Amino acid sequence: MGKEVMLDCLGEACPVPLIKTENALKKLTIGDLLIVHIDHSCAMKNVPEWARKEGHNVEIEEVDDGEWEIFIEKAK
Amino acid sequence: MEKKVEKYDVIIIGGGAAGLTAGIYCGRARLKTLLIEKSLVGGLATYTNEIENYPGFPEGSTGLGLMELFHKQAKKFNVDFKLTDVKSVNLEGDVKTVETFRNKFEAKAVIVATGGKPRLTGAKGEEAFLYDKGISFCATCDAAANTGKTVLVVGSGDAAIEEGMFLTKFADKVIVSVLHDTGKMDCNEIAKAEALANPKMEFIWNSVAHEFFGEERLHTVVLKNLKTDQLIPVKVDSCFLFIGYLPNTDIFKGVLDMNKGGYLLTNEKMETNIEGIFACGDVRDKFLKQVATAVGDGAIAGYSAEKYIAESELFHNQIMQCDKPGIVYVWNAIDPKCREFLPLIEKYEAAYDGKVRITKVDIYKSAGIASRLGVSQVPSIVKIKDGKIEKIIRENICEEELAAAIEE
Repeated sequence: MGKEVMLDCLGEACPVPLIKTENALKKLTIGDLLIVHIDHSCAMKNVPEWARKEGHNVEIEEVDDGEWEIFIEKAK
Repeated sequence: MEKKVEKYDVIIIGGGAAGLTAGIYCGRARLKTLLIEKSLVGGLATYTNEIENYPGFPEGSTGLGLMELFHKQAKKFNVDFKLTDVKSVNLEGDVKTVETFRNKFEAKAVIVATGGKPRLTGAKGEEAFLYDKGISFCATCDAAANTGKTVLVVGSGDAAIEEGMFLTKFADKVIVSVLHDTGKMDCNEIAKAEALANPKMEFIWNSVAHEFFGEERLHTVVLKNLKTDQLIPVKVDSCFLFIGYLPNTDIFKGVLDMNKGGYLLTNEKMETNIEGIFACGDVRDKFLKQVATAVGDGAIAGYSAEKYIAESELFHNQIMQCDKPGIVYVWNAIDPKCREFLPLIEKYEAAYDGKVRITKVDIYKSAGIASRLGVSQVPSIVKIKDGKIEKIIRENICEEELAAAIEE
C-alpha cells in the first residue's frame, strides 16, 4: 500500500481544487492515495472527470451535505 | 485484493433525474436499493444554470438545486449511494453483478440510467485542452473563473445559447460559433431573440471548430467557415462546447440492444432485451430528453423492477418449488373460457390441499410468469415436478385431464 495524502480544498471554487489536485498528484508515486476534501459542487464535476481521463482510480464519499472527499489512487 | 461483495435487490447505475426517480420508487417499495453515480449526484441537469420548464416550480430552479431535492427524497426512502464509476457488469441470469474499483455488488435487478456525456468536436488539438486546460462543458462551474475574459461557445441549441447568455454575466465577450446560416439557430425562439439582442454576444455563422491551439492552456480556437473554407482564428481564454451528447453505454456494448448511436432500446415498461435489466432517461432511444421525461421513465423503471422482483420470488419459491408436485393454471381474468375452468381448479385446490401446490397465474395482470413458463396461450395448465416443468396442457382442459395430471 502506498501513502495517503490529504488535500484540503474547503471553501475553494473552480478551478482552484483541480489545479491543486493536479499539482499534488504530480508529487505522488503509483499506488499512493490522494484524498481531496471539497465543498464546491463544481469541483465534483471536473476533479473526478479529469482524474479518470488521466487513468487514475476514483471513488468519492459524501462526508456531509455538500461536502465530499475524493479518493484518487494514482495509477500511472 | 479480493473485492467485498454486497447484496441488493436493485442497483441503479446513474444518479441523474431518471436514476434518482427510479430510486425513489424502489426505495418506497421497500426494496434494498443502491444507486451508483460516478461523480456528482444530479447528472447533466446540474450543468444547467436554470430549469424553467420542470412542472411544480413556477419560479424556476437551478439544475443543481432541483437535483438536490431529488437526492434528498431518494435518501428519505433509504436508497444507498455510492459515488464511483462502474468498471464492469454481468447482467445475465438471476443474480446480476456490478463491479466498481473497490466493490462487487450483486442484485436481482439492474436499472441503467447512465445518461449522456458531452460530445466533442473531434477537431485537432482538442484532447490536449479538455477540462482544466481551457475547454469546458459546464458554464455554471467555470463562469466565475472567466470574469472579464473572452470565451467561445460552440453550438446553437438551447444549452449553448442559454449557457452562453449566463456566461455574459461574467465574461466581457461571448463569441458563439454557429453551424447554420446567419440568424439561424437550433435553440428556442425566446432564447434566440434574447441572445441576438445581448450586446456582449457575437456570432460567427456557418462555422465549425477546426483546430485548438495553446501552450499550457488554450489561447486560440481556429474556426472554419463551411461555405468559403476560410479559417478564422479566434483568441479566447476558454471555450465551452455545447454540441449535444453521446450515450454512456460503452460497458453495455454487445450485451444490451442499442441503436446505431449507442442509445439503449427498451419497450414502454423500460425493459431491455435482458430480463431484469431496465433502462431509463437520456440513455434510452427516445424522442425528448428532458428532466420531465426522465422522471416519467424513472418511475416506470422503478415500478417494473419491483414487479419483476416480486414475480421472480413467486416463480422460484412458489411455482418452481421442489417439495411437492405443482399445478399452475395460467388464465386471463377477462376471458370467459378461462373463467369457466376456475371452479374446477378451485375444487382441486381444496381436494389436494397439502399434497399438490396449485397456483393460479392471471396473465391479465402480468404476462411475466407465463412467459417464464413458456406459455402464451390461455387457458393452459403446467405441471411442475421436482422444480421442473413436466408437462404443459394446452388443449382439452377438462376434469379428466387435470385429474390424470395430478394423479401421475
